[in-house]
Amino acid sequence: MKKIILTTILSVSALFAQVDEPVEVPYIPFEIKMGKGFDAIQANCLMCHSFGYIINQGPQSRKHWHGKVVKMVKHFKAPITDEDVEITTDYLFEHYGNGKLE
Amino acid sequence: MQRRDFLKASLAASAVAIGSSATAGVTTQPIDTRKVSTIAFPEKKPLITYSDRPPLLETPREAFTQAITPNDEFFVRWHMPEIPTHIDPDTYKININGLVKQELHISLNDLKTKFEQVEVTAVLQCGGNSRSAYKPVAGGIQWGSGAMGCAKWKGVRLRDVLNRAGLQRDAEWIGFNGMDNAAYYETPNFIREMRIDELDDHVILAYEMNGEDLPYLNGYPLRLVIPGKYSDSWVKMLSNITVTKDYQELFFMDVAYRVPDNDCECESPDEKYPRTKPITNMNVKSVIGWPTNNTVVYHNSHLVVRGVAFDDGHGIKDVLISTDDGKSWKPALLDKDANRYAFRAFRFAFKPNKYGKVNIMAKAINRLGNEQPFAHEIKWNHGGYKYNGIDVVTIEVV
Ligand code: HEC
Repeated sequence: MKKIILTTILSVSALFAQVDEPVEVPYIPFEIKMGKGFDAIQANCLMCHSFGYIINQGPQSRKHWHGKVVKMVKHFKAPITDEDVEITTDYLFEHYGNGKLE
Repeated sequence: MQRRDFLKASLAASAVAIGSSATAGVTTQPIDTRKVSTIAFPEKKPLITYSDRPPLLETPREAFTQAITPNDEFFVRWHMPEIPTHIDPDTYKININGLVKQELHISLNDLKTKFEQVEVTAVLQCGGNSRSAYKPVAGGIQWGSGAMGCAKWKGVRLRDVLNRAGLQRDAEWIGFNGMDNAAYYETPNFIREMRIDELDDHVILAYEMNGEDLPYLNGYPLRLVIPGKYSDSWVKMLSNITVTKDYQELFFMDVAYRVPDNDCECESPDEKYPRTKPITNMNVKSVIGWPTNNTVVYHNSHLVVRGVAFDDGHGIKDVLISTDDGKSWKPALLDKDANRYAFRAFRFAFKPNKYGKVNIMAKAINRLGNEQPFAHEIKWNHGGYKYNGIDVVTIEVV
């Protein structure tokens, strides 16, 4: 009996908590502004990363946002249609834009 | 000195070349107004939180009063959102394959018992640390100054592991792959490559950080540690080491983590410099841990300014402090040199004898004589990499 207790304790201290059970990364509810094009964001952008990852760069020009969406398609192979590239860009510029086209 | 002169020269030259209509990039102090979140991630205190998928957490400035960054405050940066939620240390194995004489599948226990155990205290810093200093916004996470930390890493030499497997004659490159995966099957995985001749004895496969198992979010159960280099290649949750003859073309090697291949490593936002190079070695940098911005202190009180300084392993020679906007500089006291790759903690006694806002500045100088430039002297690059401006904290004396 004693022996069993000893080994359990040993393995707990040697292993540490993270391996005993699955680790959950918490869900952070980033506020997303509603509006035209929101559906396209939900369908095209949130499969690979959180909304927080998208908006942390602050308000940006239309060109900046367009460039980001195109980068997603070109480098990360995001399956986004040409039409949705424009719709998501418009949404981002309208809600997270700085008013400048370039 | 040389670097400064060059900056001046290149400034003049680029003004001529691109004319006055082009927008010039400017560099300021990084953003320092973000607060820690109310939500704590596994094994972490609440940190500055940018994203949950992938997890992106920044260490608050206050942690940089100490030479070792505690595990529960250590920053977190993943590229891919799909991270295994469970790793069984009894069945986990690191695979060594490719151009080796004998493929190896080494368990954690074998790593800990069948190889020489080594330790190195080294700074882990994201190449994009302080990116928010660059205007216009450079692509990527808009880090303040806390995408860095220093820990004592324990593990085994990568070289010993490769020697055990035996390299074939035409082996040239080593590729490292972690267990994080993209959410979409066509997205390139985060694989890094290193030339075999870049490998030195300080490169280790680490399973321990500050005397504990690696925290899950810092790459449990095993990560690469490459002292002196930016963290883009310190692959976490390492699963595979593959030796090849040829360089594999990879997004995260060829496009990300690169700066303009010119002497100032700079370019204009309108016209990217055509040739790029990897960011590799860290430049000399310091960060003030306390006081923090907007700290209110009494006139004639006794303050101790504390912070950390580091470079790519040449070692810190001096940290100078200015409390008069850079007109005069006085040396801070340096802690004894723990290790050339580590944070060198500094402290400076300061008695504010002037009312109102006071800027405290810290400038580190390494053993090669390289010193931090002022933020505004740093030239823009599109990835927002390698910011190392003189740190400035503004306090209020009442
Ligand atoms: C197929 C997966 C995928 C999809 C879909 C996707 N992204 Fe990304 N995104 C990525 C990856 C991968 C990264 C970069 C990860 C890294 O560098 O660590 C990224 C990074 C970003 C960044 C920050 C990096 C930078 O370059 O500034 C922004 C902003 C961004 N995505 C916006 C978007 C928007 C907007 C959409 C929808 C139109 C979108 N993403 C859809 C995979 C995707």
